[in-house]
Amino acid sequence: MQKINRNVVLALLSLTSLVFLLFQLCYYKFYLSQKNGAAFSKVRGSQSGQDSTRWHVVRKFLGLISSHNIPVYLIDPLILGLINKDIEQIRSSPDGPSPECKYFCAPRDFTTFALLDKTWKHEVGLFRTAEKMGFQWLKIINKDPRLDGMDDLSGMEIPLHYIFKLASHAIHLVVFYERSGNFLWHGPLRLKQHMDRKFVPFRKLHFGRYPGAYEKPELLLVSIDDLKVQIPKNPSSFLEEMSHSRFLECRYREARAFFQLYPDDVSLDAVEFRKKAKSLLHLAALTLNNLGVKFWLSSGTCLGWYRQCNVIPHSKDVDLGIFIRDYKADIIPAFQKAGLPLKHKFGKVEDSLELSFQGEDDVKLDIFFFYEEDDHIWNGGTQAKSGKKFKYLFPKFTLCWTEFVELKVHVPCETLQYVEANYGPEWKVPVKTWDWKSSPFNVQDNGVWPIDEWDNVIQIY
Amino acid sequence: MDEWKPNPAVKPHKKRSWYLAWKYKLMNQRALRKLCQTGAVLFLLVTVIVNIKLILDTRRAAYEEEEESAQDYDDEMLNVEVPRHPVNNKKVLDVEVYSSRSKVYVAVDGTTVLEDEAREQGRGIHVIVLNQATGHVMAKRVFDTYSPHEDEAMVLFLNMVARGRILIFTIKDEGSFHLKETAKNVLKSLGSQVAPFLSWRDMWTFVGKKGGEVYGEKHAKSPALSTWGDPVLLKTEVHLTSVEDAECHWPDTELNRRRKRFCSKVEGYGSVCSCKDPTPIEFNPDPLKDNKVFDVPVAVIAGNRPNYLYRMLRSLLSAQGVNPQMITVFIDGYYEEPMDVVELFGLSGIQHTPISIKNARVSQHYKASLTATFNLFPDAKFAVVLEEDLDISVDFFSFLSQSIHLLEEDESLYCISAWNDQGYEHTAEDPSLLYRVETMPGLGWVLRKSLYKDELEPKWPTPEKLWDWDMWMRMPEQRKGRECIIPDISRSYHFGIVGLNMNGYFHEAYFKKHKFNTVPNVQLKNVESLRKDNYETEIHRLLGEAEVLDHSKNPCEDSFVPDTEGKVYVMFIRMEQEADFTTWTQLAKCLHIWDLDVRGNHKGLWRLFRKKNHFLVVGVPASPYSSKKPSSVTPIFMEPPAKEEGAVAVPAVAAAEQT
Repeated sequence: MQKINRNVVLALLSLTSLVFLLFQLCYYKFYLSQKNGAAFSKVRGSQSGQDSTRWHVVRKFLGLISSHNIPVYLIDPLILGLINKDIEQIRSSPDGPSPECKYFCAPRDFTTFALLDKTWKHEVGLFRTAEKMGFQWLKIINKDPRLDGMDDLSGMEIPLHYIFKLASHAIHLVVFYERSGNFLWHGPLRLKQHMDRKFVPFRKLHFGRYPGAYEKPELLLVSIDDLKVQIPKNPSSFLEEMSHSRFLECRYREARAFFQLYPDDVSLDAVEFRKKAKSLLHLAALTLNNLGVKFWLSSGTCLGWYRQCNVIPHSKDVDLGIFIRDYKADIIPAFQKAGLPLKHKFGKVEDSLELSFQGEDDVKLDIFFFYEEDDHIWNGGTQAKSGKKFKYLFPKFTLCWTEFVELKVHVPCETLQYVEANYGPEWKVPVKTWDWKSSPFNVQDNGVWPIDEWDNVIQIY
Repeated sequence: MDEWKPNPAVKPHKKRSWYLAWKYKLMNQRALRKLCQTGAVLFLLVTVIVNIKLILDTRRAAYEEEEESAQDYDDEMLNVEVPRHPVNNKKVLDVEVYSSRSKVYVAVDGTTVLEDEAREQGRGIHVIVLNQATGHVMAKRVFDTYSPHEDEAMVLFLNMVARGRILIFTIKDEGSFHLKETAKNVLKSLGSQVAPFLSWRDMWTFVGKKGGEVYGEKHAKSPALSTWGDPVLLKTEVHLTSVEDAECHWPDTELNRRRKRFCSKVEGYGSVCSCKDPTPIEFNPDPLKDNKVFDVPVAVIAGNRPNYLYRMLRSLLSAQGVNPQMITVFIDGYYEEPMDVVELFGLSGIQHTPISIKNARVSQHYKASLTATFNLFPDAKFAVVLEEDLDISVDFFSFLSQSIHLLEEDESLYCISAWNDQGYEHTAEDPSLLYRVETMPGLGWVLRKSLYKDELEPKWPTPEKLWDWDMWMRMPEQRKGRECIIPDISRSYHFGIVGLNMNGYFHEAYFKKHKFNTVPNVQLKNVESLRKDNYETEIHRLLGEAEVLDHSKNPCEDSFVPDTEGKVYVMFIRMEQEADFTTWTQLAKCLHIWDLDVRGNHKGLWRLFRKKNHFLVVGVPASPYSSKKPSSVTPIFMEPPAKEEGAVAVPAVAAAEQT
């Protein structure tokens, strides 16, 4: 009896394990197919099913958009990276046959394309055709940031991203908009509540975690893997640009609240100063960009952007920051050439460098050079009459793009920390009397310049 | 565990032999056998457990991955639960309608859809149109049938309402004085028993379906001329029909879907919602060759006059060379109906929360609209500014395309306008002719971005200043001596009768007889001669060939200009200094052109047409062209009438042109 029981138990267990085995197999297959989609028929002999699926989806997508005359271009970092390796070859033989599927078959979950908003209009037809071709699609819309800065305007929401999914591959179409300041902007990808969170693994998308700012790219029509597609003319600079493309929108809502508390100065003087500051900033940006020197809005100008999305009318100067590693000796002559004479130069490249240029009618351009340490960043100040040195400490920051007075410029991404370091927790309250030696929250005494160095480190013109 | 495949259950007889063999073989190694058995059982158990765990794990991992993947991308407003309206399956609507001397109201299912108890306002017949399937208000109108012609407007409106709609009427104060027979008959045909006998200060309410049943009617006669009828309150029920019955069955296209959405919401747009052969909502006018304004944004400034906007957009979208993608309609206020009109045409619309009041509100709306336009189209160097009460000429864009390069190249230009203030039926003749004028006419014009961004926007009048934006733009501080280019025959037509500074009388006197170009593809002549210096040469040439009119005659008389065609005549009027317009104003008055302020002048010179002859007026001695006056001619002087009336009227209505 016991033996039979034991045998029965054994048999039963074996059976269960068998069932589990089968179940596991099924489940594994199911899981796999969900992840990678239905197997696609092999068309290109040398390619495995997976690889050619990607190629096929891209081909179908390109067919779809060309049938609707929508000009898109490839911005997929993975493929552009591959293309970049062979860029000379691809450029020289734009129609040359490619021996194998080298780019579009590369393993990945998405292929990313860009679309310029102004180059297309009606989308309804596109989606219908897409559905007929077997695509599933998702459209992500949101507020139009170009109207965000305006009091009480409410426009229609604009499309920011499209995702077209077919089998195991998805096409991510990023919509780029032109912004004031002559650059392109794409929005963040944010899902609304009713949206399918599992439509694609959103986390793996290359675009959409943050909004981004880009220069208008020059395009090149190339034929790769038997597909004709537009790519940025210089993929490597595009990829480089992409890695620093994060864009910060001005805090328009907070700025409006600020102006409710402290009504804006609309006197003629304020209007005039803003106009001059704006043109000075434009000139400075042009000069530094031509030199290839990266700069950001600092001190009062940064505060103006962050607090009120505008130039602070009583600030009386324009402040920029530059990392000392980006310093170039050409900076001074370039500004002089642009019609901005050097007003004073304090410090030296090794320590506390600061330049001041004279703009139109008393509006001054101050350029502070920032020195990076292990756990902080600082810039220096010098009092001309006493030779006293000051040091302004900031927590470490990275740079983001923003739009300011019709200009694409950098600001510290961690703007709040930056502004708070500089102006303290009361930065929201306007202060009209400001002493650069004592008012800043982060100022420290830093000794005195040795007298024999004065001629070099304190130059006033 | 894949390799481990004992298969006892599947093949029983084999199992048995296998089992027996095993049993006998291992009989003498009982301990070993037992160990094996236990081992096998343990192994099996472990397998099962591991399996279960594996399945659960993969499940959870997959779930987490997907959950997580979207986390970063969640909208901030995620937790705002949208309140869902309960689906209204109700088939019956309770309608309450009240009519009295000082107050009217209409409530549908307890919701007040009309309430008017303002004094000195809203007199006449109030009409509300409801959708027969949903009960939504589709149109609300009031016709002051105490005044003349309003009954005609009502008839027009009622005829446009689709069959089957529910109509609600109620009278406030007085609605019968100018309610003519035709209108009464229309009301009668809707099923009203009382309408034909409606008389002085009667109160009346009526609810009926167009072309169908009557849901109720109440009436209170006025007992005497000096008193009003007693207030009446009508309570009735309306049976709703199914949605399918209330809609037309147009072919399912993108355009018709827009049409359907529109027609189920609003009423009073006539054939656009006809079930049979509805009027088109896409126009596809001919494109322009070499269109220089294809990429120029068009800002349409609108308020809450949806019928005007509808008419305006139709003409705009029919103009040759129009680019609908560049059009943005800016609506001052969160009005639904204008937005519906914008969506009907597939355009983009932006609503603007009203700031300030009256003129300042319009002015703030202009500022917001212009700023937004240049934000939305940062590449644009210009913007076309239109208003909702303008008809747009078929060659509007052709006119701009031919002239816009001047605005780009000639710094002395302020704007290009489609409107000639002095271009009336009897004073404009040549569609290919352009002028330079020192005034800014507005009413369809092109603004340079640099002018707006660098000069106008920073010092635009603030909300507390109750200024007209156009008057402000005309001030010398802004204009700085720059001029606008205008056509002889206007490319826009101002049809608005109701507006901030507009009324029927004013419109009839100053706008109705304005000439409007209807000829397509007009080739403009001498565009280059519009440049600053060229224009002077041109004027001197014109004056050189002009025949001096007989200054002894009365310039107001028709005989002042000979009965010729195609000639150039010149007359000289007295103009002591630059700002002396005494004679000009009198002349303008008798010529029946714009005389409320000075418009259309260029250095003391006005150009218009009389009897198909080009007619030049030179102010002497203020105008630099005075030198062309023969010494024998004495400039004509005209005095304002002795009464002070004229002087009072001018400032009062000077600002009246913009609405």
